[in-house]
Amino acid sequence: MRVSRVLLVAVAAGGVLALALGGEALAGREPTRTVAAPWAVAGPGLPLGADVLGRDVLARVLAGGRDLTLGALAAAGAASSLGVAGGLWAGWSRGRAARAARALSDLLLVLPLLLVAMLAVVTVPGPAAVIAGTVFGGAPLTLRVMADATAQARHTGYVEAALSRGERGLSVLFREVLPAHAGLVGADLGQRMVLAVQLSAALNVLGFGPPPPEADWAAMLRENLPGIGLNPAAVLAPAAALALLAGSVAGLSHILAGRS
Amino acid sequence: MSGLAVSGLTVVGPAGAAVVRDLDLSTARGEVLALVGPSGTGKTTVLRAVLDVLPPGLTRIAGRVEWDGAELRATRRWRRRHVGYLGQDPSSALHPLLTARAAVLEPLRVLGRSRAVRRARAEQALADVGLDPEELGERLPHQLSGGQAQRVALARALAADPDLLVLDEPTSALDPEALETAVALIRRRRAEGRSATLIVSHDGSVVAGLADRVVRLGMPPAAAPPAAPRAATRARTAGPVLAVGGLGLDRPDGAPLLDDAGLAIAPGEFVAVLGPSGCGKSTLLRALAGLHPVRAGTATLLGEPLRWPVRGRSVPALRALSLVGQDPLAALNPARPVSAALRRPLRLLRGLSRREAAAEADRLLAAVGLPADTARRYPSALSGGQRQRVALARALAAGPALLLADEITAALDAGTAERVLDLLDLLRQKEELAVLAVTHDKTVAARADRVLRIGRSMTDDRR
Amino acid sequence: MAADGARFGGVPRVIVRAGALLSCASTVIFLITEALPGDAAVVRSGGRATAEQLDRLRAEAGLDRPLAERYVSWLAGTLSGDPGHSLLTGRPVAELIGQRMPVTLTLAAAALALAVPLMAILAWAAVGGPRPLRPVITGLVVGGAALPQVALAALLVALLSAAWKLVPPVSLLPAGEPPWSRPALLVLPVLTLALPAAAYGAALLRGAVADAVSRPFVRDAGLRGVSAAAVALRYVFPVVAPAAVRLLAVVAGGLVAGTTVVETLFGLAGLGELLVSSVGGRDLPVVQAVTLLAAAVVAAGLITADAVALAVDPRGGAAR
Repeated sequence: MRVSRVLLVAVAAGGVLALALGGEALAGREPTRTVAAPWAVAGPGLPLGADVLGRDVLARVLAGGRDLTLGALAAAGAASSLGVAGGLWAGWSRGRAARAARALSDLLLVLPLLLVAMLAVVTVPGPAAVIAGTVFGGAPLTLRVMADATAQARHTGYVEAALSRGERGLSVLFREVLPAHAGLVGADLGQRMVLAVQLSAALNVLGFGPPPPEADWAAMLRENLPGIGLNPAAVLAPAAALALLAGSVAGLSHILAGRS
Repeated sequence: MSGLAVSGLTVVGPAGAAVVRDLDLSTARGEVLALVGPSGTGKTTVLRAVLDVLPPGLTRIAGRVEWDGAELRATRRWRRRHVGYLGQDPSSALHPLLTARAAVLEPLRVLGRSRAVRRARAEQALADVGLDPEELGERLPHQLSGGQAQRVALARALAADPDLLVLDEPTSALDPEALETAVALIRRRRAEGRSATLIVSHDGSVVAGLADRVVRLGMPPAAAPPAAPRAATRARTAGPVLAVGGLGLDRPDGAPLLDDAGLAIAPGEFVAVLGPSGCGKSTLLRALAGLHPVRAGTATLLGEPLRWPVRGRSVPALRALSLVGQDPLAALNPARPVSAALRRPLRLLRGLSRREAAAEADRLLAAVGLPADTARRYPSALSGGQRQRVALARALAAGPALLLADEITAALDAGTAERVLDLLDLLRQKEELAVLAVTHDKTVAARADRVLRIGRSMTDDRR
Repeated sequence: MAADGARFGGVPRVIVRAGALLSCASTVIFLITEALPGDAAVVRSGGRATAEQLDRLRAEAGLDRPLAERYVSWLAGTLSGDPGHSLLTGRPVAELIGQRMPVTLTLAAAALALAVPLMAILAWAAVGGPRPLRPVITGLVVGGAALPQVALAALLVALLSAAWKLVPPVSLLPAGEPPWSRPALLVLPVLTLALPAAAYGAALLRGAVADAVSRPFVRDAGLRGVSAAAVALRYVFPVVAPAAVRLLAVVAGGLVAGTTVVETLFGLAGLGELLVSSVGGRDLPVVQAVTLLAAAVVAAGLITADAVALAVDPRGGAAR
């Protein structure tokens, strides 16, 4: 019963991701072309009305998630794999370097990652800043969770049995510890993904995202906020898209975390 | 009637299956009632249903619980005022930030007497369990030894002289000395005749002498004769399997645990290691298995010098020594089926082919009394006893000369424990398997050829 | 005795950690802004200067000196209260920050005052609330913590401002008036800051509370009939408090960072908005000073958290 629930949420989250990535193909109209008056309300052929420059809101919502999602996936993947690798090492090794890594990650943990990304955006483009912020702010969290899990696993019967049959550290980590914590790793990846989506939305809304004619959910929010009285859909649709993306990934992560 | 009366108690699990069906029991003031049965027969569930603290998933669908003739209503308040409770793991049941005296003072709040009176009662309760309040009263649990912490919990359960005392598995919860104190105190309560006592235990022998009445739950499982696994060829030597001299061990925090200890185990010999909790019994086994650092000492295994860290050991040394731990929950990797756990050592240490390993794994399962389809199952689908038997099969897979067994029967019911011990006896005769077993179970120690007692050093009771 | 030793041993450790955090943060801030690709002079001149002009610019700004030397003089200046001048307006950075401070402080304080009790209530309700409500509250907390702040801002504007016309959609403050003089203007920014912070904090705190409640000695207390209030106060609180205070420091840090988005979206002239416009204009002295200030706030939160943890649990210094 619980497996089917995971499957259900996983399929839903996968669907949302697929839509965010490939939605542009369904748009049927160029997201950058002016087709109506600014903030025109919904009508035939314009199910969600028009935006600040009279462009089709639906087409822009369908197209506006791709770069953000791709960037978030890359950032989450980088942060999570770095953190998992570091955590396995820091939890397994009892050396001074491992302790120092844990202390450093504890310190990095408290740095607000939006500020880290704001700093990074001074010198690198937006997507790279999202990755930098997610890695700096997210990898330490992963490292800590994974290091604790690994340190605990060291004293379990299955790890001691593996050591007692002469398996090497790396083999124990990848054959025993990592599979036993697959749910934890999946949940963690999801959480980093949510972080990256939030970060990217924040940076894009502040104007550090893709340049203007491009469609982007967060940028759409800012562009259309002044017209919320005229066409609320121009604001609510991208907001809902962002919420759906982050929410479905968070839901999947939450269920995975509960199972591990 | 006075005391506790339970009638028609029925508890169902999440799927609606009955865990406890239509149970009656009662105990009057001045009586001791024992609830006995193998693990998995719902003893603890009965106890929790009586106290009205069933865990989520279990529901009481029928039954009446009466105290002094009236049905229980505000159960939490009733427990606070009338019940003294000692759980299965008393030392972890102590608040880590409360001193021993403060812990014992807590149940005395309901008395409502003056501070001085309560304090005197707390000191008396500590003294009753053999603890010096002057010396230990201000200590936090982490500054107490395991046995002392157990006694503090016992003192807390008894401090307010509760009308109903409930003990959950005292024989495994308390070390022998603390258990003796508990038994003496229960006898005294019974003689005074004011209060009732309910004891739950899987070990019928200890409670039998203490209880006025015994209620048995479940039927003992039919014993099946275990089949021995095929002999794994192994070089035999005439001398001891393992000889250790001058062994010194430290705790992980650096405090010394053992000094200049020595032991020698002959092929086929069963040596039991006894000692109070926290004395380093388990650490000794883990050190021999190469999993705990050794401060000093040398060892010879099958005539060859043995290197301490497990990483430095040769394949024959790895094969010859096998460890089975005490925690059946963490014994198996949740991500791998039983078959994987068994085949890996067979392939790695005995060099069997894939097909040979699969066949041998089935034989090992049969040897520990598990059905063949266990191989396909994941640990989450096995009970604690079944997992422990899989762990034992995994330890036997390499064909060891010496099995290091750390409380292997603690999580098993009497019937299963018996079968596991029978299997070890069989292997000792047929294959000269030597066993070094840490235990505080007297039935295990009774089967041993020799008993080692651990304090700061080790003494050897030859039989 | 051992406990006292730990207590006194712990205090310098707390300070060392905060000091480490600050020096770590200042180094990262300086390195990222000054030493990453491109010369700061090029960045500052917008790429339109000749080689000769660039050299002059470098000399003026002291950029021809070695990196380590510049770092030390920057840090010394900042610590003595003079973080330099804005490259865009030429005004002292300290003055800019002083001007913007009241708005951000008001905003953050109001948001924190709303977020902290909300966080505690949500976390407790998700673990110890009425059984049928628990999954609902947990879902609310998990979903709320995941919701991007900008999406929440849009939703709040749509509801409170566009649909119900309760508050104005943007918060343009008349110049010279203190921010608290028009509370209606602060409703949207404060809610946008506080709600995600509360949900995020509650999501983490929920874990800590659930963890504490499942500890053997807490379960045992319930079994022994210790009253629910006493269990919460004497058993759960001391276990959760250190984690909760530390969490609070993190939440406060996130809240400070969130002012950038909120102030920009709602048109409030605070420190967050100053940071965003300075990043956009590559005004490095301002960026460095504002981010270091934020790091100092986080470090102060951390010191408080560690001190509270030490006071509640004297084993803190001894454990690990």
